[in-house]
Amino acid sequence: MKFDLTLALVDRPGQLVRALEPIAKNGGNIISIIHEREKPVEGYVPVSLVVDFPSKQNLKRTVSDLKSLGVSIVKSEEVVETTRLTLILIGRMDLKRLIETRVENVRIIGFEVSAPASKEACVKLELEIPTDLVDEALDELRKVSKEENAILISSI
Amino acid sequence: MNVLVAGFGFIGRDLIKTFHSKSTLIKEIDKDFKVIGVSNSRGYLYKREGLNLEKLLSISELSKYPKSYQPRGSTTELIEKSNADLLVEATPTNIKDGEPGLTFMRRALSNGMHVVTPNKGPLVVAFSELETLAKKNDCEFLYEATVAGAVPIFSLVRECLRGDRIQRISGILNGTTNYILSKMYFEETSFELALKEAQERGITERDPSYDVDGIDAACKVTILANAIMKREVKFDDVERVGIRGVTQEAVSLAKKSNYAVKLIGTIDKGFEVAPKLVPVSHPLCVHGTLNAVHLETDLARELTLVGYGAGKETVSAVLNDVLTVLRGRGKDRPSKPTRI
Repeated sequence: MKFDLTLALVDRPGQLVRALEPIAKNGGNIISIIHEREKPVEGYVPVSLVVDFPSKQNLKRTVSDLKSLGVSIVKSEEVVETTRLTLILIGRMDLKRLIETRVENVRIIGFEVSAPASKEACVKLELEIPTDLVDEALDELRKVSKEENAILISSI
Repeated sequence: MNVLVAGFGFIGRDLIKTFHSKSTLIKEIDKDFKVIGVSNSRGYLYKREGLNLEKLLSISELSKYPKSYQPRGSTTELIEKSNADLLVEATPTNIKDGEPGLTFMRRALSNGMHVVTPNKGPLVVAFSELETLAKKNDCEFLYEATVAGAVPIFSLVRECLRGDRIQRISGILNGTTNYILSKMYFEETSFELALKEAQERGITERDPSYDVDGIDAACKVTILANAIMKREVKFDDVERVGIRGVTQEAVSLAKKSNYAVKLIGTIDKGFEVAPKLVPVSHPLCVHGTLNAVHLETDLARELTLVGYGAGKETVSAVLNDVLTVLRGRGKDRPSKPTRI
């Protein structure tokens, strides 16, 4: 699981190595690190990291170890990888129902309607979906479109 | 090698024509190659010294071939009587029960006769039974022309991807629906108009449901799933949506976003035939009556084959299967003695 961590380090030599130790100790694999030493804010240097931890538990232990070392944690949140999907739906349907699919974190980023008054109304949707939920979201959309008697055309 | 051809329709005739035009090539592989029997639903021709292919091509009915015709003789009888080495089964496709081709294939394989076929029906109905029967009797059972016509999908996997694990297959497996959707894409015609034109040009049958409702593509998904992915899939296991409901508005909306709507057969965790959005830059995005098959494997990663899926090009796949049998078996297995 990837996490976005931002730490505030005291602008003194050796602080970065000290802060990285708990991450390694708790099984974190650092994917990227930005150390903005030339931009200290009130004596603190911001360090932004993307770390892959085996579980949320490992992150929690790291955060706790960092705190006990006196390192301030500005941000620690999971990085959600998303996939963009384009879909076309044909048929008159309850768009509200479609939008309220039960899959979490689905964002509609594009929407276009053609022939809205006809029986064969056509909607193009562009969705942003957490990558690991794509199959679930598509299954749900398939189910809704079947119930609404609409044809779902998803991308390959 | 002694060969029988069951079915003297479009494909059967075309095959005889090709055997004749490629006779030098065939004789280089097997100097004893002979077509000793040809049958249709009304009777059969049988001549143990080999039929004259030129003469066969000049007649409109099998009964007009001098002397060798057996009226009302059945193909099963011909298989038993001839003791041939290879049956090319090219009778009309029937996906309900696979007949009459299924009976002919069973009989041929049980008699130790290799089988080559462009007939989907028996494979959709009884793929694993036929494969098992072929193995048990040490026979070749080749069916390249059943999926995507001249596109050599099974040969490619068999010969060139021996070590690869095929993870996913997707493709345009029906030329008629591709023709209709291409018309809608390029000429902005309605589905109905594009279908009418396909009918007028003889690309689809008068009853187009076999093509436009995805039945033909679902048959091919069934065969690919069984033959390549080794999954025991029946026709009814394939989720199927055809293209009747695809409107011009939908095709235009897709086009504006650089997609084309194509009827795609997919085999991965599940089995499906449905209209899909294909990015115009994707290798599957081919138009007209073309077919395309996209393979995803663990080693080669992605491969796409494109070609014609129906019509006279199909004979290329049937001939290659026949030559495969001749090459593989002609040398180490002598022709069976012909029964008189």
